[in-house]
Amino acid sequence: MATERAGTWLPEAGKLELGSCCGPRMLSPERLALTDYEYLAQRHVLTYMEDAVCQLLENKEDISQYGIARFFTEYFNSVCQGTHVLFREFSFIQATPHNRASFLRAFWRCFRTVGKNGDLLTMKEYHCLLQLLCPDFPLELTQKAARIVLMDDAMDCLMSFSDFLFAFQIQFYYSEFLESVAAIYQDLLSGRNPNTVIVPTSSSGQHRQRPALGEASMLEGVEASLFYQCLENLCDRHKYSCPPPALVKEVLSNVQRLTFYGFLVALSKHHGINQALGALPDKGDLMHDPAMDEELERLVVRSRLHRTSRQHRAQEPGTFGFHRRDKLEALERVPSASAPTPSPYRWEPRE
Amino acid sequence: MIPGKYRSVSGRATNNVNCGLHLVIQTSSLPEKNKVEFKLHKETPSFPGRLLQHDLERNYSSRQGDGRVISPSPRNKSSCISSTTNVTELCGLEMKTTTSSLSAFGDSSIQTPSKSRIRQGCHSAGPNVSGDHINLVSSSMPSFPILQRSSEEKILYSDRLTLERQKLTVCPIIDGEEHLRLLNFQHNFITRIQNISNLQRLIFLDLYDNQIEEISGLSTLRSLRVLLLGKNRIKKISNLENLKSLDVLDLHGNQISKIENVSHLCDLRVLNLARNLLSHVDNLNGLDSLTELNLRHNQITFVRDVDNLPCLQRLFLSFNNISTFESVCCLADSTSLSDITFDGNPIAQESWYKHTILQNMMQLRQLDMKRITEEERRMASVIAKKEEEKKRESQKQSLLKEKKRLTINNVARKWDLQQHRVTSIAANQDRKDSDSPSQDPGQVDGSTISAFPEETGSLDSALGNALQGLSVTDTHLVEVDGDTLSLYGSGALESLDRNWSVQTAGMVTTVSFTFIEFDEIVQVLPKLKIKFPNSLHLKFKETNLVMLQQFNALAQLRRIDQLTIDPQGNPVVSFTLWKYYVLFRLSHFSMQKINGTEVTQNDMIMAERLFGILAHVASSELPQYRLISILGDARKKQFRYLLETKGKKPGIVSEENNDSKRLVGENTNRATLNYTTRDFYNEKLEEIKEKKKFCKMYIEDLVKEATEINMKNEALQKLWPQMFIELVRDAVIEIRNKSSYMKLCLQQITDQK
Repeated sequence: MATERAGTWLPEAGKLELGSCCGPRMLSPERLALTDYEYLAQRHVLTYMEDAVCQLLENKEDISQYGIARFFTEYFNSVCQGTHVLFREFSFIQATPHNRASFLRAFWRCFRTVGKNGDLLTMKEYHCLLQLLCPDFPLELTQKAARIVLMDDAMDCLMSFSDFLFAFQIQFYYSEFLESVAAIYQDLLSGRNPNTVIVPTSSSGQHRQRPALGEASMLEGVEASLFYQCLENLCDRHKYSCPPPALVKEVLSNVQRLTFYGFLVALSKHHGINQALGALPDKGDLMHDPAMDEELERLVVRSRLHRTSRQHRAQEPGTFGFHRRDKLEALERVPSASAPTPSPYRWEPRE
Repeated sequence: MIPGKYRSVSGRATNNVNCGLHLVIQTSSLPEKNKVEFKLHKETPSFPGRLLQHDLERNYSSRQGDGRVISPSPRNKSSCISSTTNVTELCGLEMKTTTSSLSAFGDSSIQTPSKSRIRQGCHSAGPNVSGDHINLVSSSMPSFPILQRSSEEKILYSDRLTLERQKLTVCPIIDGEEHLRLLNFQHNFITRIQNISNLQRLIFLDLYDNQIEEISGLSTLRSLRVLLLGKNRIKKISNLENLKSLDVLDLHGNQISKIENVSHLCDLRVLNLARNLLSHVDNLNGLDSLTELNLRHNQITFVRDVDNLPCLQRLFLSFNNISTFESVCCLADSTSLSDITFDGNPIAQESWYKHTILQNMMQLRQLDMKRITEEERRMASVIAKKEEEKKRESQKQSLLKEKKRLTINNVARKWDLQQHRVTSIAANQDRKDSDSPSQDPGQVDGSTISAFPEETGSLDSALGNALQGLSVTDTHLVEVDGDTLSLYGSGALESLDRNWSVQTAGMVTTVSFTFIEFDEIVQVLPKLKIKFPNSLHLKFKETNLVMLQQFNALAQLRRIDQLTIDPQGNPVVSFTLWKYYVLFRLSHFSMQKINGTEVTQNDMIMAERLFGILAHVASSELPQYRLISILGDARKKQFRYLLETKGKKPGIVSEENNDSKRLVGENTNRATLNYTTRDFYNEKLEEIKEKKKFCKMYIEDLVKEATEINMKNEALQKLWPQMFIELVRDAVIEIRNKSSYMKLCLQQITDQK
């Protein structure tokens, strides 16, 4: 099984535990089968080393001033903390599972307030938020994530933050896996034996598929157990990250048949998978980040002071300023009209 | 006053005064037109006072001044007045001054002419008396009386016959008077012109004040020169086909609504159509001799064809319905016209009336009975010149406006095309191709830009201090209107390189961008900051603002008070969060208005709540090397720009540095949120790719070397214990025999020495 867990988030410290990379694994037969170089590449150590050197090259004048050793320390610290992906190019962000998880976490941390405010946004607006963190984030990925939440013909609808975030997590973190799944699903749907699956009992599998096809025209989607078989196979061979097969089994065992998007929705809503991925808190705690909230309160107070002092300065002469402050205070008591109430969802969750 | 021609006529008339009233009709073959000459008796006391009804009508309008009818009469009693009415007058006068007695109609009870002499000059007082002895005898036909004169009368007044105020209801049959030249039926009740077809030598026919409804029965009177049909009931000008030598035609006081059937009257000099029902004037072709045309008291709204009257000198249009000069503009083309009246028309009330008329009709000598002075003419020309200038200016303005409109349309079209192309390319997902087509319009622009400075130069000088520099080319437009600088089309951004006057630059507080890619605007923002330091209000329309992060670019400006993002062509405006993001990112400007709505403190707090964490994360969690590289980019960009523009002005450079310091100081936590344009970003990505490639190779080599060393080391470690044992064993074996080993050693030492 090639699944790997880059690390888990310690909620308080926000630090990455790289423990799973060393220790017992080092002695596993898998480890011994690889050369050192291959091992380093597989663990993405090379990626970070390359990037570190690249960053060093980019700012060599500045960095040489404060020490190359200091730079490397900072770099690898930031990699551990997951802050190394902020404002980086997409190719780097998606380069490793750890980077993906870090990006997801950064996105959640930065825009949790948007969700907390209750704003429902369109796919394009979420995309803009993503682009604030990663300027060249591709629209395609956001679109795919939105498609998990929305029906095909309702792509302009508004989504809640949590719905989008969890769908986006699945899509972004497992994007290569999901592509393969989509191919398998299409093959199953059209009644072909998925050519990517090497099932030992391939003939029997085909026998089972025939009737399934007849049903498929009436029911919708594919048979869950067969689908799982194929996916299990895929997880075994897949070199990119996959969700833990046990959890996939759990998802698929609850239903008889399911569609591709049904599967994605189920994945995105599964707590276990979210936990296994480890980037985001549970859905219930999604808006919960006391440390940051505290920080935010401080910022708000500061900005308010800043602005009022500024206005004081700017409008001291004349009676106009007086008027204006009155008005401002009056408006302050009125709740913001632009924030829609979160309760009535306008989109239809996919089943 | 009186045209020369008439003066000469009157001159001749005075010579012949002693012969009583004498009508000389010269059918001369002079090359000039045939003339009817009336010679008046010198002592015609009645003349000034004796104004017929229609003369009165004509005069009351000219009461204000010495009307041209009145003026000649007292001064020059014997002068011949050329208007139709005057001719009528003359005829009437002549009838009265004749001393011959008038024979009453047979046994009719008409008064005898005995009083005729006494009545001289009192034409209006009672029935007229003719000097002739006339007998009206019932003819064989019951309805028509037959007129006969005594032979002596015939001899005395062989060529004239006056039947004024005879209460005639029909024309009498006039027998044996074929030589008659002058016939007068004034003030009767005749309804139809009859029984005169045999008077083929008739020259003068007066039917004034009758009840004639149709012009008829005149077809044989080929030599008729004067036809007076005033104050009748005629509705239509007709049946004049054979009256080719007609000189005077008076149709005033009828019900004519249209000028027609007169084009053959090439000898006609006077035409009176006053007090009719004309609504317009045309069909005047062919009246080659017409010198006077009276059209007073109609309902004329426009006049045409007057320029086709080569001899027209006097035109009376008083009391009509003319309201614009355009409706009578053909008058300006008439070269002969010297006297015109417009009084009693709406046009005469206009402020521009006099000078417009004078300016357009240079040949005029009298307007509304008043002589035109040189002074007036000068004034008119000055005013007209001014007006012309104004018109030209406004025309220029409207031309510019139109040009502007066209250019904007053009730019819009180009923009649409470009947008479409860009989107279609985006659909193809072909990034690399997007570079080449986006260069294409740039090249097109380049060719037109070359023409750009010249044009603006000339315009600038033309408009001078009007502060309305408007430079137009096909692909873009730059306009300064008051405090607003408007840029249309990407080419317009080039104008920021121009040397704007300090005054203009200082005045501009609003800059509006239309049809320009936002990414292109971003590149000129540093220039904008320097050239227009007071710009406080930015407007964007059709600029392809699609992402929130694009607003980051505006943070580098000095100050923004207002921001207006038109939803047209800026999809970002449809986002719920855009205003808050702008407020958050540009919080150091403390903006007053966004899209026209006042920014409240609540908005600011909301913005902070929504995005504060982003800024916090960006500033506090970013590793230092990243902070340096991100802020460094911004600094480098500025530096690069400064290098490009001018290294000459150290003042600006230092100011710039201060600026960036201040900017950093004001919101360090936001400075990391900056925007690099797509092209620049792609460039950077390419650069990174190159570096990555190198790093990859470098790391690969390093790692390979390291693993190799590691492998060797591991192999060594594996061999080392065995090797050690072997070495020890060898040593032990060697020193097992102590004495021989000692010997050997000693031997070696001695050998060395």
